[in-house]
This record gives sequence, C-alpha cells and structure tokens, in this order.
Amino acid sequence: MIRFEKVTKTYPGSGKPALDQVSIDVEKGEFVFLVGQSGSGKSTALRLILREARPSAGRVYVAGKEINRLAGWKVPRLRRQIGTVFQDFRLLQNKNVAENVAFAMQVTGHSREEIAERVPDTLELVGLEGKADRMPDELSGGEQQRVAIARAFVGRPMILIADEPTGNLDPTTSVGIMKLLDRINRTGTTVVMATHDASIVDQMRKRVIELEGGKVVRDQAQGVYGFQH
Amino acid sequence: MQLRYVFTELRQGLRRNLSMHLAVVLTLLVSLSLLGVGILLYQEADKTAEQWGSELQITVFLCNGTTDATPSCVGPVTDAQKSAIEKVLHENPNVDTFRLESQQEAYERIQHLNVPASSFTGSDPAIKVSDMPESYWITMKDPHKAASIKESVQGLDGVANVQDLHNIMGSILGTIDKLRNGTLIAAFVLLVAALLLVANTIRLAAFARRREIGIMRLVGASTLYIALPFLLEALVTAVAGVALAGGALAVVMKFGVIDSLSKLRWDAWVGWHEYWIAVGIISVLGVVMTVAPTLLLTRKYIKV
Repeated sequence: MIRFEKVTKTYPGSGKPALDQVSIDVEKGEFVFLVGQSGSGKSTALRLILREARPSAGRVYVAGKEINRLAGWKVPRLRRQIGTVFQDFRLLQNKNVAENVAFAMQVTGHSREEIAERVPDTLELVGLEGKADRMPDELSGGEQQRVAIARAFVGRPMILIADEPTGNLDPTTSVGIMKLLDRINRTGTTVVMATHDASIVDQMRKRVIELEGGKVVRDQAQGVYGFQH
Repeated sequence: MQLRYVFTELRQGLRRNLSMHLAVVLTLLVSLSLLGVGILLYQEADKTAEQWGSELQITVFLCNGTTDATPSCVGPVTDAQKSAIEKVLHENPNVDTFRLESQQEAYERIQHLNVPASSFTGSDPAIKVSDMPESYWITMKDPHKAASIKESVQGLDGVANVQDLHNIMGSILGTIDKLRNGTLIAAFVLLVAALLLVANTIRLAAFARRREIGIMRLVGASTLYIALPFLLEALVTAVAGVALAGGALAVVMKFGVIDSLSKLRWDAWVGWHEYWIAVGIISVLGVVMTVAPTLLLTRKYIKV
C-alpha cells in the first residue's frame, strides 16, 4: 500500500537530509506507528505520502502510484484515497459537526444523497450520534478529534494518516481515540500514525517504525515505544 | 461538481472582503471610464480625419458645370483636364498619394453629414448626385509643403477650388491626440492600481480561507474547485466595474456628446456605434485584468 525505496528528502537550505535512504513497506490493512524524536523525519514521511513534498532521491509508492511521477492534476485523486487527521483537529469553526464531515464530501464532488447517507453513518461509527448539530467550540477535545476522524474517514479512504492525533488529549480520551482508529483499521483501512505517546504504542502492540536523524533505526512488528529486543 | 459550496463561498467572500471589492470596483470604474474616453477620442480623431481630411490632406474640387463661378470652370471637368491635373500631381514631389472621389461617392459621404434627410428625398430633391463635385483627395508627404501643391493645381482648367484645412485640422487633431494620450496614460496608471488591488484582494481572501483551502487540498478537492470561488469573485468585481464604467461612458455620450456637442456645426462626432466599440474593449479588458491575475495568484496560493 505504501512503499519507500531508498528515499532521501533534503529541504532547500538545509544541509542535513530530513529523510536519509529510508526504505519502508506497509501492507494493505496494516496499522503502523511512526515514532521518533522531533526532527527525526516522521512528518516528512507523512508529507511524502500525501504528496505535499517530493523526494530528493528514491521512490515513494502510494496505492500503487509512484508519487514522484504523478502529474499535479492527479494529486487530488490520490488524496481522496488518503484520510488525514492532525493533532490540532483543523475543524471549520463556522460549521457544525455534520457540516464539517459533509464538507470533505461536498468539495470532492459527492452527491447530496451520498452525503445524506454517509455522514450520519460515519458520525455513528465515531461515537458522535446525536451531536451532528453541535458547533466545534461546544465539543470536548476528544469529540473534536472524533469529528476530524469522521471527516477523514467519510470518503472511505484506503489509507488513514494520523499525525499526533492524541497530542492534545488526556490519556483517557486518547485511549478512546486509539480504539476508534483501531476500529477503522479493522475495516481494512491502512493506518499510519506518527506519535510521541509511548503508553499508547506500548498498549496497542502494533508495528513500530522508529526514525532517528532521518534514518530507520527500528522496524518491529508488535513493537513498543522504547527499544526492546 | 457541487456548486452550492462554490456559490456560498462566493457570497461569503464578497461580504467578507466588501471594502476591498468596492475599492477594486471603484478603481475599475475610473480606469475603464478613462480608457473608454480614450478609445472614443481615438475614434473621434479617425472620424474627423475621415470626414474632413487629416492634416496631411488637401482636397481639390473639380468643376461640375452647375454652380462654379471660377474662371477655370467653363463646364463640367473633362477627362483630358483630369489627366492634366493627375499629371501635375504625379510630378509634384510633395504628393504622397491621391485618389479621385466620384460624384456618387461625394453624394454618399454628404448623406452622413449633418444635412437633413429630406434634402435627399422627394421627386425633386434639394441635393442630387449631379450637384456634387468630383474631387481629388491628396495626401502630402509633409503638411508644411501644402502651399506648393496648392499653387501647382490652383487655376488649372477643370479645378473649381482647393480646400486646404491642414492648419485647422492639424491643431484639432493635435488637441484630440493630446487629450487621448492624457486619458490613456491616466487609465494605464489606474489600471495598474486596479491590478495591484485585485492581487491584494485575492491574498486577503486566500488568507481568510486558509483553513478551508488547507482541508480541501487534503481531502482531494480539485484545484479548479478550490479556485472557483476566487475566480467568480473576480468576475463579479469585473462585471460590476465594467457595468459602472459602461454607464459612466453612456452618461458622457448622452449628455456630453449627443445632447451638447452634436448641436454644434461639426459633423464628425462619435455616436452610439463608437460607444459600443469602446464598451466592448473595456469589457474584455476589465474581465481579463481581474481574472488573469486571479488565475495566476490562486495557482500560487492554493498550490496542490
């Protein structure tokens, strides 16, 4: 589903590569944690998957497409197959819960009937049934993140990218969010999550890829946050 | 493509940036009006030259055997006399080109002048084709050498009189040219201001919508879909600016030209036909001026 082949990414004006000869292979339906300190290259890896950046060397394949070669006008189509969740939720404050979720479908050309059918289903899946009319500032952090996840998942993407989704949440709420991501993963969606949250990684026991200085220093099935043999 | 979002965004965008949009519309109004006046003046100069000859032209009227009192006219001009006149013109080094206007052509031209239509109609019209003189319209190489041409043809057999308006036409056309250039320069400066205002408006609009745009990019909205509200905003602004400028020009035409200047004894005023040409040009320019920078800048601000 996602493959990095000796990928190097160096940003202009920076002598040191953000990613250095990284090779990763993520299968369809996998749940992968990307861990590492700030500046280790996690966000760059996510940006490459989303084709927000292009590799300086090497190849990145996402959903069977080599993103370096992907024409600009085909990028939106690629992104429709990827849902994205961020630490800061990025909700539209002037829209209610249902409108925030529907927005992702509206702007990608879905019909009203599809939207009317899928938005309530997705809100139910993320545990927000009955809160469709609430505005974002009336929700807790955990609920806001659930709205963001619903928005990312409403188009039924093949891949879900989560960049520190529990970074702003307390431990109890974080567990709820992780359960939700796990449930989404069980539908066959590949989940790649960058995180600093050791307890969550340790609890979930999923594949862990650790980056350090732009290199993969560990790729462990059912791993934990800290290094463990 | 769902257009409901696009139109909602368009409405919100226009409301959110109302003052900037008004600034663009007003600048477009003034700049396009000035441009329109410049285009009308350009056409006025053309029309004047067409009707009365440019500063480079003198006109030699030939005898038509009816109203001439000149000694060189003993009847209608003959072909031999015309050949002799043409020979003189060919040999004069100051003549650039010349053409013969027939009685029929003169008759048709005079119908466009400020002469009552009743003069040309009826069983015995006041003005007939046979009343019109044939004439040579001569274009000089140098308007200051008009006297030499005039002297060479004046008094030749078949020549009724020589009309040399180059001094008057030179100053009239010169004044029109200066007015036109002045308005075009002012219009150009204001159009540059309008361009910069459009650029600023788009930057503000993109900033105000940065979160929506960011989400749209991430969920895979097409670039056109993201750019559409910006393009429509620019289009609405352009249409408003062009409509107001067209209205201002219409006011100038109605009260400045049709109702006032046309009453003067001068038959070469621009009319509604020229107005619509000017409106056509400012419409195209107004739309291009706002939509083109919007296209360029939205590509920059909402790059996928």
